[in-house]
Amino acid sequence: MARSAALPRRPFPLQPRGAVVIAILALGLWSFVALDLTWAQVLPGADDFRQIGHFFSYAFRPALTFPAEDDVAGRAPLLVQALSAAKLTLIFAVTAISIAAVLGIVLGFLASTAWWAGDPSGARTTLGRYVRRTIAPTVYGATRLVITLMRSVHELIWAVLLLAAIGLTNVSAVVAIAIPYTGTLAKVFSEMIDEAPRGPSEALRAAGASPAQVFLFGLLPRALPDMAAYSLYRLECALRSSAILGFFGWETLGYYVKQQWDVGDYAEVWTYLYALLALVLLVEWWSGGLRRRFVA
Amino acid sequence: MSDRAVAVRALHAARPRSTYVRWSMIGFAALTTWAWWAGDFDVADFLSPRRMANLERFLGEVRPYPLHGRPWDWGVAWHWAATMFTDGVRARAFELPSGAEAMAVTLAISVAAIVLAGIGGALAAFPAARTFATPQPFLPGSDRSKAFQRRAWGALLHGTRGLLVFMRSIPEYVWAYLLIGMLGISAWPAVLALTIHNTGILGKLDAETVENLSPRSLAALRSVGATRRQVAAVGAVPAALSRFLLYFFYRWETCVREATVLGMLGIASLGYALSEARVRDRYDDMLFYVLLGAVLVLIGDLVSAIARGIVRRSA
Amino acid sequence: MTASAAFRLDRVSVTFNGTAAMHEVDLSIAPGEAVAFVGPSGAGKTTFLRLLNATQRPTGGCVRVDGRCLGTLSSKELRALRSRIGFVRQDLALVPNVRVIHNVLAGRLGRMGLLQSLRAMTFPSQAMSMAAHEILERVGIGEKLYERTDTLSGGQQQRVAIARALCQQPTALLADEPVSSVDPARARDTVALLTRISRAEGLTLCMSIHNVELAREFFPRLVGLRGGRVAFDDAPDAIDAAQLADLYRLSAAEMLADGA
Repeated sequence: MARSAALPRRPFPLQPRGAVVIAILALGLWSFVALDLTWAQVLPGADDFRQIGHFFSYAFRPALTFPAEDDVAGRAPLLVQALSAAKLTLIFAVTAISIAAVLGIVLGFLASTAWWAGDPSGARTTLGRYVRRTIAPTVYGATRLVITLMRSVHELIWAVLLLAAIGLTNVSAVVAIAIPYTGTLAKVFSEMIDEAPRGPSEALRAAGASPAQVFLFGLLPRALPDMAAYSLYRLECALRSSAILGFFGWETLGYYVKQQWDVGDYAEVWTYLYALLALVLLVEWWSGGLRRRFVA
Repeated sequence: MSDRAVAVRALHAARPRSTYVRWSMIGFAALTTWAWWAGDFDVADFLSPRRMANLERFLGEVRPYPLHGRPWDWGVAWHWAATMFTDGVRARAFELPSGAEAMAVTLAISVAAIVLAGIGGALAAFPAARTFATPQPFLPGSDRSKAFQRRAWGALLHGTRGLLVFMRSIPEYVWAYLLIGMLGISAWPAVLALTIHNTGILGKLDAETVENLSPRSLAALRSVGATRRQVAAVGAVPAALSRFLLYFFYRWETCVREATVLGMLGIASLGYALSEARVRDRYDDMLFYVLLGAVLVLIGDLVSAIARGIVRRSA
Repeated sequence: MTASAAFRLDRVSVTFNGTAAMHEVDLSIAPGEAVAFVGPSGAGKTTFLRLLNATQRPTGGCVRVDGRCLGTLSSKELRALRSRIGFVRQDLALVPNVRVIHNVLAGRLGRMGLLQSLRAMTFPSQAMSMAAHEILERVGIGEKLYERTDTLSGGQQQRVAIARALCQQPTALLADEPVSSVDPARARDTVALLTRISRAEGLTLCMSIHNVELAREFFPRLVGLRGGRVAFDDAPDAIDAAQLADLYRLSAAEMLADGA
């Protein structure tokens, strides 16, 4: 047709975006074949259906008290036990995040280019030039390597390593969560610091402020709301991480989920799942409120 | 007091401030202080000689087996690692998968899960988006729908959102543990656990993307008679696809990370090899799989960053 | 108040990646003088101001402040010198999401230690708050002391930037195109404010400005810059229309280079 001939011809029949989608689907197919995944395995038989239905039916009637035969005299009520498990979950998450946020700011600063690259005043002394050309890039690179190693190992694996190396203590639980979370926070903080506009810092430096002052009062205030919002999101994740540490022996919510699931007491499993749900939702609601106010 | 001091004090008293942010800060400080106090953290015990002796024993045992009690030799260590990577462990009592196989299976779990979650999230995005889950999407002023229709769509919207919240609030690891009990041992529980959790997350993010689409072009489609499904397929999906893909790759990175631990299911993944090595106190083998997992996570981050670059450029 | 600074440029050149932005310029500015730099964009006005507060190093020649060549100063001396030169940037460069008082007091950072500045920026003493208020009143927005900076209008934000420079207790005030960031009606107010304050406090004032009318009205001395050289340097009455027309006429070569 005359009209279509006038249109410029596309160099490829496919947009890069389309190619990405097709590659994803092809890789998905490969993974199903590689894992021997068949629909027969996932479509359960009648018996399995009954069991699954049985489990989910308890979603609407979680246990609120221990059954009479388990209610030994002197034992704390179920809800008190759930509350104390939730408490320990929250404690691990909050302490780990408080460590990770502080270390994350320090490492994030070192892993950003804000403190050494492109200083317009230039290094004036030989020592200054040496610091700028050699020491600063080395510190920057080493920090990036360390935070990458910290976050590329899962918190559960850190927990397993610490269990083997140190043993089952509350400190090891917090350290296990804090290590990868520090890595993630440091990485994201460093990006936020680098993305913050440089104008205020340059103005403060031109007014004679020291590098530490430039960072604290020119760069940090701009990045702080984003950093706080992201830390709160990570707190939400830390609650889940803290809960699953229970599968390895700490008495957080996951400990009781595993225990009750193993003895088939589904009503109690749901009690603990709902406790976790409530904790996560509470933090999500709180951080959502904060984020709205930061944006405004 | 000078006039200026009075004026400054008055300005200070009348300064605009957000009580919510203020109380949040006080609340968070209080929460942190309480957590540190109530957590029963015995740092002295953590660093006690008994525990340090344990650490020393552990550090001795993570040395590759051929080097136990001998000076470090890179050649021997490298040969050991290469054998672990290609052959794994075939002892009389137990077997560990080769590093290569464990990596491939772990990768396959993460890919299978994120593909399912990507599809699930994109499908759930529409009933979870306020702009689509109404009786007359993108037709303001002509809403002649009945009250029960509005209520039905509202129920669908909030039902979908509630389901997504529930799916993402339960950690992958817990989902996996529950699913093995229901489905038996195969790769499915690991794949489905990751799928469920990530569908919850992607569904929420994708729904926000759909809600933030410019309503004008969608309304134009609608006004020439396109149905709800046609508007979604022809108008919304192409406009939102780039964003969907960016979220998809971000979540895939975490999927790879999670897949390295979801291995206690008896399929030959990294997590399985790791926990098998652990229960047999073979800490050198365990550390090998840990490091292999770290490498896999790094590769995943790299591939994801490249893919996101392609998507950004073509958007 | 304080002594005012004297500037002197001796055969100063600046090259960016091989292109000369400033070519062997000689110029001297007496203490307390008010000078306007005019010229087309790209003439080197901003580079000129950046040379004066030592954020731009000359590739040749020497910039002297109060007789001392900047190239010979140690970084500590340089910091002390910069803290006495107020610079109002074209983009203002304020931190948007903090209160006005923080942006104003940030001007004082050059003369505070780290701990002292932490206290001043979190819980400023009454004396500090009053000093900030006094400066804001001088620029006409005293009542905005505790407002969030990004809730202010563009003109008010510019005054915050001026207040920050004044908070440095400077001996000289440099302003880079202060007229371009506000609407024309406010432009006159801004120039009037800066010249009035500088005169009242005996500060040396250097302003780059593309509005020649305003420059003629408010400044006793105009320096025309073109292509990194001084085209004229005289009192406004001594500059005739032909000189000005020359300054802004694009040569054919420049038009081609601009791609216009």
